[in-house]
Amino acid sequence: MTHFEIELDKLKNVIQKIGALAENQVSEAVKTLLLESAAEGKEVKKVESKIDKLDVKIDEICQRIFALQQPVASDLRFIMASMQISNEIERIGDLAISIIKKTKNIKEKHDLISKFEIGEIAREVEIVVLKTNESFLTRDSEIISTIFSLNNAIKTRVDDVIAAIIGEMKANSKVVVSGTNLVLVLKHLERISEHCSNIAESVYFMVNAKIIKHEKFEDL
Amino acid sequence: MKDIKIQVNDLSLYYGEKKALKEITMQVPANKVTALIGPSGCGKSTFLRCINRMNDLIPSVSITGQMLVEGVDIYDKNVDVVNIRKKIGMVFQKSNPFPKSIYENVAYGSRINGINDKNTLDEIVETSLRQAAIWDELKDRLGDSALGLSGGQQQRLCIARTLAVSPDIILMDEPASALDPISTSKIEELVHELKEQYTIIIVTHNMQQAARTSDHTAFFYMGELIEMGKTNEIFTKPEKKQTEDYITGRFG
Repeated sequence: MTHFEIELDKLKNVIQKIGALAENQVSEAVKTLLLESAAEGKEVKKVESKIDKLDVKIDEICQRIFALQQPVASDLRFIMASMQISNEIERIGDLAISIIKKTKNIKEKHDLISKFEIGEIAREVEIVVLKTNESFLTRDSEIISTIFSLNNAIKTRVDDVIAAIIGEMKANSKVVVSGTNLVLVLKHLERISEHCSNIAESVYFMVNAKIIKHEKFEDL
Repeated sequence: MKDIKIQVNDLSLYYGEKKALKEITMQVPANKVTALIGPSGCGKSTFLRCINRMNDLIPSVSITGQMLVEGVDIYDKNVDVVNIRKKIGMVFQKSNPFPKSIYENVAYGSRINGINDKNTLDEIVETSLRQAAIWDELKDRLGDSALGLSGGQQQRLCIARTLAVSPDIILMDEPASALDPISTSKIEELVHELKEQYTIIIVTHNMQQAARTSDHTAFFYMGELIEMGKTNEIFTKPEKKQTEDYITGRFG
C-alpha cells in the first residue's frame, strides 16, 4: 500500500466509524420514542461528542489529502463525497439527540404513537440509516435506489401523519403539547431520512461520477 | 475541419525493429493546449517530435501513417522540412539560449529568414519578448548575454525566440520541469495566454501541470494512445481503467 492509499483507507475507516455511531444514536432515539428503553443521557452525549470529533478529523484528513496529494478522478470523488457524507452524518447524530429530548416532553405519547403508527415510521428511518451505511461500504446501486424510494415513502407518510395529528389536536386540546412535540419528532425523523438520501447521492457521485443533487429520483 | 489543426492517422514509428508508437490516431484542436501524459518511455516525447519531424535526425527511425497539419501530410516527399519547423516551433526541457545577447537570441530566426532591417527586428524582438511575458524584466538589458539570465528567464527567452518566427504551432517538451515553482507558474500562465494565437502541445510528467494548463489531455502507454479527451473529463472521470490508474498514481 502506498502512503496515499493508507490515507484513503484511514478516511474510509473513520467514515465507517462515524456512520456506525450515528446509526447507534438513531437506534437509541427510536427506542426512547417507542418506550422500549430510555436513552442514557450521559452515554448519548458521549457518543455525540465522539461524532463531532470524528467529523473534525474527517475534515482534517481531507484537507491534508487535498493539500499534499492532489487527488484526481475516483480518489477526488471519494474525498469530496467523504466530506459531504461526514457533514450529513453529524447532522443525523444531532437530530437523534433532538428526538430524545423532545420525546421526554410528550406525555400522552404512547397513545398517539400507536394511534398514528409512528413506530412504523421510526423503524423505516432506522432501516434507511442502516442501508445508508451499507451503501457507502458496498457502493451497491440497488441499495442506493432503495434509499431514495424509502425516503420518498417516509416523506409522504410523515406528511399524512402530521395532518392527522393536527386534526387530533383540533378535536382535543389536551393533546396539543404532546401533539406539537410529536410533530417535531416526526419532522426530525423525516430530516434524518433526507440526510440519508443526501448521503446516497454522494455515494452515487463517488461511484458513477455523476452529480445527481436536486434531481428527482424518478428521473435517474 | 477548421477547428482541427493536426490530424494524425494510424501513425507508427519504429526505432529499427522496435515499434515505439503504435497506430496513433488523434486530432489536435486549433488554438487549444493539448497535454501529452504517460509514464517514461511511453512514446509521448517521440510523438511530439514527429509533429515537426525532429525524428528525421535519427537514422534508425522509420514512420508509417499520416501526420496532417492543416490538411497537409508533413511526411510527404514534396514537403520542405525547414518550412515545417518554421511553422512548428519547439521549446525543450532544458533552456538552450545561444551564447549571444538577449536581443540576438530573439532576432536570430528572423535574420536567418533574411530580415535585417533594424526597426523591423526591434519590433519583432519587443513583440516576442512581450508575448513571452519577459519584456519588462529584460527591456533595459537587451545587449546582455542570454547566458546570464536565470533558468526561468532563459526558458521564457527561448519561448520568445520560438515566437519570433511566427509559428502556428508550439511544441513544448517538459518546458518547466527544471524550473522553480514561481518560474513554472509564469510558464504555465504564458501557455494559457499564448493559446489565443497558437496551437500548443505540451509533454509533461507533472500531472497537475497538465490539469492546470491544458484543454485536452492524451494519455500514452507503451507506445499506444490509450485515451484522449477534455482535460476536465480525463482528470475527473476517465473512461479507461489504465488512465484512471495512471493519473491516480496506481502505476507508472
